[in-house]
Amino acid sequence: MARARPVPGFAESASFREAAIRTVEVRTEEVFEHRDNVLDISDIERVHDMRVATRRLRAAMEIFEPCFPKKQFRGLLREVKALADTLGARRDADVAIAAMDRVAAELPVADRAGVNHLLAELRAEQQQANEALAGLLGQIDSDRLHERLLALAAETGATAEVPA
Amino acid sequence: MKARKVKGLDPDGPLDANLRRIVAVRVAELHSFGKAVLDPSDVEALHDMRIAAKRVRYVLELGEPVLGPDAGRGAKRARALQDVLGEIHDCDEGIPRVLALIDRLREEDVAAVRDSADPTASDLDPAALRRARNRRKYAGLESLVSYMRARRAVLYAEFLRTWAKFERAKLGARLDGTGR
Repeated sequence: MARARPVPGFAESASFREAAIRTVEVRTEEVFEHRDNVLDISDIERVHDMRVATRRLRAAMEIFEPCFPKKQFRGLLREVKALADTLGARRDADVAIAAMDRVAAELPVADRAGVNHLLAELRAEQQQANEALAGLLGQIDSDRLHERLLALAAETGATAEVPA
Repeated sequence: MKARKVKGLDPDGPLDANLRRIVAVRVAELHSFGKAVLDPSDVEALHDMRIAAKRVRYVLELGEPVLGPDAGRGAKRARALQDVLGEIHDCDEGIPRVLALIDRLREEDVAAVRDSADPTASDLDPAALRRARNRRKYAGLESLVSYMRARRAVLYAEFLRTWAKFERAKLGARLDGTGR
């Protein structure tokens, strides 16, 4: 799991709002940097990294909520939550499959049929979750979520005149 | 679980004071589950505490450059709590799922064995058992449930130790400004 990137100038922020702007910019970039190959189910760390980055962005948005224009903020937070939930559903299936693989390996071969049945169900859920994620990522691109999140920070900064 | 509202935040006020206000509310929120989680069967309280620990962790991770090393240590403790509660949650969701699967497979077998009999049959020949095509699946799934229940008990004991450490650290007093 990638460590959260330090937010330049965070500690020196003159106000809560200034820290909010700096943080949301950095955390937004982190989410979209982890976007590549998240649909590849043979490398489950990709989706994990994007999920962690999305959770950090969501947490930062919730912490700094009073700093942003309410109407614009609410819609964006809802979209970030939807992304976090969809990534989470894929991740849950990935983790459950890995755990069941370990359990199956410890059972005598004659007793593995039930766990293999469960594994087949989990793989179907992983596939479904991946399809849902693919759809949402396409939606996010067409709705320009990345740009709109950066615009939220920029517009809030323009109002508050945050130093560069 | 909906987060408690933090009152008195000032976007134009200093970062430090606003963060300490949030930390105070989030740590109090976490402690509010302290009594309920002593009942290992209170699945909902354990789940809510996990969410509360996650919120504490994130505000402390974010605020560490301003709040200092106590925040970093607090974030690690909150993460340990969140992790063990997450594993317990997985067991609490997984055990009923496996039990439901066993029930479903059994129902399929009962229907298949019953349907193999002539509608006018007065009894069922044990040879009909061969129609129970899930019969080889039960042993592994029952073993899995036993393992998950045992693991849940081990994790709960670990949670109690982790929570005791968290409480001893008196994080709220260190970070909300009242302990300074």
